[in-house]
This record gives sequence, C-alpha cells and structure tokens, in this order.
Amino acid sequence: MSTTAQNATTPKATTGIDPRGPRFGAGITGVLLLVAIGLNLSGPYLSAQWLASTILFAAIVAVFAWGAFAGIRRHPYGLLYRRLVAPRLAKPTELEDPTPPTFAQGVGLVITGVALVLHLLQVPNALVVGASLAFVAAFLNSVFAYCLGCQLYLLLARAGILGRKPAATA
Amino acid sequence: MTAAIVIAALVVGATVLGLIWRTLQGRVRAATGSAADFAEPGALVTLVQFSTEVCAPCAATHTVLERVAGERSGVSHVDVDITNRPDVASRFNVLQTPTTLFVDGRGDVLARIGGAPRAATVATELDRILVTT
Repeated sequence: MSTTAQNATTPKATTGIDPRGPRFGAGITGVLLLVAIGLNLSGPYLSAQWLASTILFAAIVAVFAWGAFAGIRRHPYGLLYRRLVAPRLAKPTELEDPTPPTFAQGVGLVITGVALVLHLLQVPNALVVGASLAFVAAFLNSVFAYCLGCQLYLLLARAGILGRKPAATA
Repeated sequence: MTAAIVIAALVVGATVLGLIWRTLQGRVRAATGSAADFAEPGALVTLVQFSTEVCAPCAATHTVLERVAGERSGVSHVDVDITNRPDVASRFNVLQTPTTLFVDGRGDVLARIGGAPRAATVATELDRILVTT
C-alpha cells in the first residue's frame, strides 16, 4: 500500500498568511482580557467598573466572532498588523495556513461567549473565569506561539467528533 | 488589590505553562511498536510525520524533515495526514501534531518526537540510528 498517496490530502491550495499576524492579535486580545478582569474585580454588580468590564468583554466576544466567521484574513487586528506592524518587520520566512488561527478564533468565541452569557445571568465570577481561560490561551499563542487550535482539533478528530469518517483502508 | 493579585497570578501562571510546554517540545524519546505499513520500502530509516489539516507547525516540520532526509541516503520522509484517521492517532497515541516517528527498515519504531523538532535534533538522532544499524 502507498502512504505517499495520503500526502495529496494535505491542503496546499490556499495562500498563506504571515504567522506573526495572529500572534500580534492574540497579544492585543490578552491585554484587553486582563483589563476586563481587572475592571470586573474592582466594582460590585452594576457599578461603573462592572458596566465597563461587561462592555469590553462583549466587544472581545464580538471580535472573536468576527475572526471565526469572517476568517482570520479579515480580522481587525490582522488589518492593524498589516498596516502598522508588518511594514516595519522583515518579510516572513514562511507563510501559515489561515485555517488554524481561524479555528482558534472559534475556540475563543465559544469560551468567552459562554462566559458572557453566564456573566449576564449573574453567575458569580463567570467573566473572570472565562476571560482567564481565554487569556492563558491568548498569552501562550502570542508569547510562545503555542497552537491551542491544533491540539484541540486533533483531540476532537481522534474522538471522531471532527473530520470525516476514517477511510476503510489507508 | 484582588484584581492586581489575579492579574499577576495569570501572567506568571501562563508564563510557567509556556516554559514547561517549550522544554517538552521537539524532544526525542525512545519508542517501540511497529509502523511497517507506513515505512518507505527499502529505506534504512523512514521519518513518519503525522500531521493534521489544522496545524500551523506541521508545514514547517515537513520542510525540516524533507531537507534532513534528503541530505542522507537511505532516509525517507513520509507525511501522513491523520485529520480523518482517528484510528491511526489512537494506534500511535498521537496527542499532538506534528508527531514524528523514526522507523527502521524492519518497520520497528525506534524513537519519536512530539511537536516541531529542530533540524539538528533530527539529524543527530538519524545519525545515531544509522551508525547503530
């Protein structure tokens, strides 16, 4: 049997993006999440700080939704990166498939989206817990280039939740 | 005050997690088992790379392994997309992509690397295997 035939299934058709773009965006998201956590912990329910943290967190959720549904190429922070940061850096040594960072945006949307709903339902510390989880993921992505999307996708594929049915023969 | 403590704990905690992850990445570990069905026939050593569609470092690892394998005679590189092959992931206990197996001419797995390896790491391990076989 041939294993090289499986190489053909690796998608190479789409043109890549600069891998530093999503990491730059994750950096902004991480800082904003910390601000939202800080504001939330500094004021009681319906205080000015509570309101500010809720609005900021809702905005973060909206940006995740933008990235997940419109794709990472149309992400607002990606635009910022291409306009302001990329021209000051050397050309990227390699390009990245846009699917992984788009998948990661979806992961961020689910985590922060659920936390926002629970927060609005007044579940205690929902915003802090959800924003903290998202912060750790954004921080690891930004600083260490750790791809949470890859790990999660593989685990889901392994459980048979994602991906098509396994072929009968290789 | 609570806010400052929580924020500091998050930054420190995430940094520690990142450092732990980085030291575990790309390390060679001894491994056993058979991967004869993935080994390139006739090759002394086959680098069997497991990739998924949604995997940023897989493409970079593909380039690294292709180059290191190309520099040595008798060494092949096979990139297997396991996105739709959970059976393969389970069989080799692949918890992350890329994962690379060093498979000898008999189809036995000698070593494995989880995560994106550096070219020098792969070259050192390959040369060690090629000398002993």
